[in-house]
Amino acid sequence: MTATTHTAKTPSAGRAGRPKRSDAAKRENRTGWAFMAPFGILFALVFILPIIWAIYSSFFRQVTVGGGAYGGGELVNKFVGLQNFRYVVTSPAFWAGTGRVLLYTLIQVPVMIISALVLAMLLDSFIVRHVTGFRLGYFLPYAIPGVVASIIWVFLYNGQISPIVKALAAIGIQVDFFADNIVIASMANITTWTFTGYNMLIFLAALQAIPHDLYEAARIDGANGLQIAWHIKLPNVRAAALLAMLLSIVGTIQLFNEPQVMAISDPGISKSYTPMMMALNTSQGTLTPGGDGPASAIAIVMALIAGVLAAVYALVERKVNEQ
Amino acid sequence: MSFNKRLVACAAAVAALSMGLAGCGSSANDSSGSSDGVVNITYMHRLPDSEGMTLVNDIVAKWNKEHPDIQVKATKFDGKASDMIKKLETDVKSGEAPDLAQVGYAELPEVFTKGMLQDVTQYAEQYKDHFASGPYSLTQVDGKSYGLPQDTGPLVYFYNKAEFAKLGIDSVPQSADEFIDAAKKAAASGKYIMSYQPDEAGNMISGLAGASGGWYKVKGDAWVVDTETDGSKAVADFYQQLLDAKAATTNPRWDPSFDASIKDGSLIGTVAAAWEAPLFVTSSGGTGSGDWQVAQLGDWFGNAGKTGPDGGSAVAVLKSSKHPKEAMEFLDWFNTQVPDLVSQGLVPAATTEDAETPSEWGEFFGGQDIMKEFKDANNNMGDFTYMPGFSAVVAKMNETAAKATDGSGKVEDIFSDAQTTSVDTLKNLGLSVAK
Amino acid sequence: MSTATKESRAAARARRKADRIRDLHANDLPRSMQPSAAVRIVTIAVLVLVLIYFLFPIYWAIIASTKTPSQMTGGNGLWFAVGIAELPDAIAKNYATLLGWTRGQFWRWVANSLVYSGVSALIGTLVAVMAGYATAKFAFRGRNAAIGVIMGCMLMPAALLTIPQYSIFHAMHLTNTMLSIIIPCCVSPFGFFLGRVYAQTSVPNELLEAARIDGASEARIFFTIVLRILAPAMVTIFLFLFVATWNNFLLPLMMISSDTLKPVTLGLYGMVSLATFTDRGALMMGALLGVLPVIVLFLGLQRYWQAGLAAGAVKG
Repeated sequence: MTATTHTAKTPSAGRAGRPKRSDAAKRENRTGWAFMAPFGILFALVFILPIIWAIYSSFFRQVTVGGGAYGGGELVNKFVGLQNFRYVVTSPAFWAGTGRVLLYTLIQVPVMIISALVLAMLLDSFIVRHVTGFRLGYFLPYAIPGVVASIIWVFLYNGQISPIVKALAAIGIQVDFFADNIVIASMANITTWTFTGYNMLIFLAALQAIPHDLYEAARIDGANGLQIAWHIKLPNVRAAALLAMLLSIVGTIQLFNEPQVMAISDPGISKSYTPMMMALNTSQGTLTPGGDGPASAIAIVMALIAGVLAAVYALVERKVNEQ
Repeated sequence: MSFNKRLVACAAAVAALSMGLAGCGSSANDSSGSSDGVVNITYMHRLPDSEGMTLVNDIVAKWNKEHPDIQVKATKFDGKASDMIKKLETDVKSGEAPDLAQVGYAELPEVFTKGMLQDVTQYAEQYKDHFASGPYSLTQVDGKSYGLPQDTGPLVYFYNKAEFAKLGIDSVPQSADEFIDAAKKAAASGKYIMSYQPDEAGNMISGLAGASGGWYKVKGDAWVVDTETDGSKAVADFYQQLLDAKAATTNPRWDPSFDASIKDGSLIGTVAAAWEAPLFVTSSGGTGSGDWQVAQLGDWFGNAGKTGPDGGSAVAVLKSSKHPKEAMEFLDWFNTQVPDLVSQGLVPAATTEDAETPSEWGEFFGGQDIMKEFKDANNNMGDFTYMPGFSAVVAKMNETAAKATDGSGKVEDIFSDAQTTSVDTLKNLGLSVAK
Repeated sequence: MSTATKESRAAARARRKADRIRDLHANDLPRSMQPSAAVRIVTIAVLVLVLIYFLFPIYWAIIASTKTPSQMTGGNGLWFAVGIAELPDAIAKNYATLLGWTRGQFWRWVANSLVYSGVSALIGTLVAVMAGYATAKFAFRGRNAAIGVIMGCMLMPAALLTIPQYSIFHAMHLTNTMLSIIIPCCVSPFGFFLGRVYAQTSVPNELLEAARIDGASEARIFFTIVLRILAPAMVTIFLFLFVATWNNFLLPLMMISSDTLKPVTLGLYGMVSLATFTDRGALMMGALLGVLPVIVLFLGLQRYWQAGLAAGAVKG
């Protein structure tokens, strides 16, 4: 990730009299920002300003004023200092949700990445010839919106409707996909179903970019298929796999769609099942204290946790890379 | 230089494109341009507006035709009630909210507290007689009116009479003990005459408990919260016995398995809100058609024949409305379009006209005039006042109710959790709670 | 400029050649490398099983889209509830229900989604690649800070920014316009990141230098040389942004109130979120029809995005 940047050396032969270097640097500075500007402006509008707003609002709570049982019919922002943050970090519901999401990440991400890798390797091996159908079939779920995917799977988990549950029952296996200890795996399955094909395609692309003569050489050395996979293919997709891993970690920490839809069939999935759900429900007032202030505080703490995780991951990655 | 020029050109192209796109729909939100004496009213709703119904826009078009000086524009919100409140809250702050919006009775005090409603008592008075008194009072907060009631959700009992007869249950049991005995008897032959719906606990069970008395009272300026009333205890006891005996289904109401239990004929009776009638018709797929009936609740929860509310909505006038008088005038007209509202699957709160049972329900319910039953139930509702922030209580109750289905919790826990959540919510809103 | 074209053409040729060699060699691998029949059968069996896993839910959804609510909960989930002869009627009925629920706006919403996704992916890809190129090739002041901030924002749950975004867009009088969807959707830190990686790995500095010596302006270099090299990579970013915009419903839920401006996911969400909605067959039909344009796009651009993925994957 640390790129060696090329400093453009301007061939400024005709600009005698001025210090070359600073002129070039100035020019580079200007050009760089010019290219950066369109994204930068949009980015400020869509990310920076809202984040500043979120940070600002996290120091406030919305309370009634004017007395009476119903208040004066107006909520006002009351500055509460760090009280919202204190609420978040001392909230058992928040940590339970965070724990759940971490557990989910711990199980789902490796399973998905490893399956994607194995599938990519199999498709890239010479064992099967016509891979286009497989490739597309695996990838198709990515095109299904998350909410719709969740709805489909909820049906397939449902004991009274699902042909899967019925088939399993027919051969003597009784499963309840909504049982307390299984429901999280059911959820992970939806994510895995949606994104495995996408990751597989990335890995497959990396594999297919490996120069063919590497294989030839290995073969001449007498390596078998597994050895080639391990010694040549794996190292070549490592970078892609590590990146996919990082992105998946960040994505699963924000887990929302799957539990939200599954809650329809399993009311045991609470409003604070994941930090993301907790934040949204807090902002809508179905959790108390409600409102934008506490919701922002949840989002900020959550982003910090995700940041720490990503940093730890990047650090470990670098350590491993150095070895 | 050429670079900069190019960039400018590029930006200009993007901007032009954007303007063009912006032009596609920028004029949709302006609510009150009344330059030529015409008052424009906007109305946001969450009615189903489905196939075969009289569409809201068609109803509104009738009004617009007859009232050239008050033109109404209805928009349907495509999201959950909680999503809509959140959106309206932001809209009100920015002064761009519609004049009128659909608000559930349970959420009305909350929406008031959030500063989204306008006091329209002076206009509401004259329309009071057009609506049943119970729902009308639910549109009020602290004695002031904020809109007019649209539909109601009295809890009633739906059951399959023929299946009951087969089991040797001649009529709907009237006492708790009789009911539980009958339920056990039915369960023994794989039939269920009651459903326990964890995802509706907050709405339905509060209504059932409310049949015999409210939870939230105002004393002075403080709230007196008691969710563990005798009625609550009776409800807890009733359902706990059914659950312990495995004599009630536990499918969540909005899970497809609930529909399946009606279709396969295993669920032959349950408490439900009046507005669920058309849902029974479609979910059943014809199972038991002609045999289903609607009855009033028995005295199962110490409710002495009374019932409680589950759902139902008012249409409220939002704070940013500049034309509350005209909005109310339209609203009174709209909420009394009884046949049109019935077509949307509502049990209208209006008393100006008798709602007729739609013919497509008639067959399923064996020709019974179920609208009459609903009206009776409507007139027989216990007083139940909702507190501000009730949606948090509902969420907590549902969560706790789910634990009772697998035995990891008890039904009575729902009410103790409701108590703590209610008190917390009120306190977090900065309202005072009496000890 | 001509150098660049030549180079990319050469690269494409090399790739095609590699593919051909691969195909050929698949047939004449040395005996020791030829997989045994057993290995081949097991592998194919595994791949087919996995394929079933990925396609079965979609198959089920297709079957379900022809059913009435009561047919969904009863009967065989694996096959149509009615005979083949009655199938067109069943489909027509659910289609009518779908159009009824969407108040006849279904295809309009699909068209809206196409506009939202297409335009924001287009703009988004361009600005992301420009920014990625800027950070990859120019040492401007504050560059590292900019990279840090943007990457940091990848960690921010985008959904939670929707409400402040709404407030800001409202202040700019942009709510309930197409722009209120397009602007937020065309900014993607991930797109920026990909653009940066692609620019780092596949734009040779020598080429830029050479072009500069030829006297080309920076804009000319970017729009004629760099964009061409990055084209396959841009397809990947485009598709990523396209799908992300297509699937977003929280943003339009807040921003859009006019029926005529809704995207199709919002309409579908509206159906699901209405507690009284039970016609899930019609919903499935809507979901499938709504996804169709995305699938067509993927199939149509298949050649390009696979090349793009390859470009990004090599040194991700």
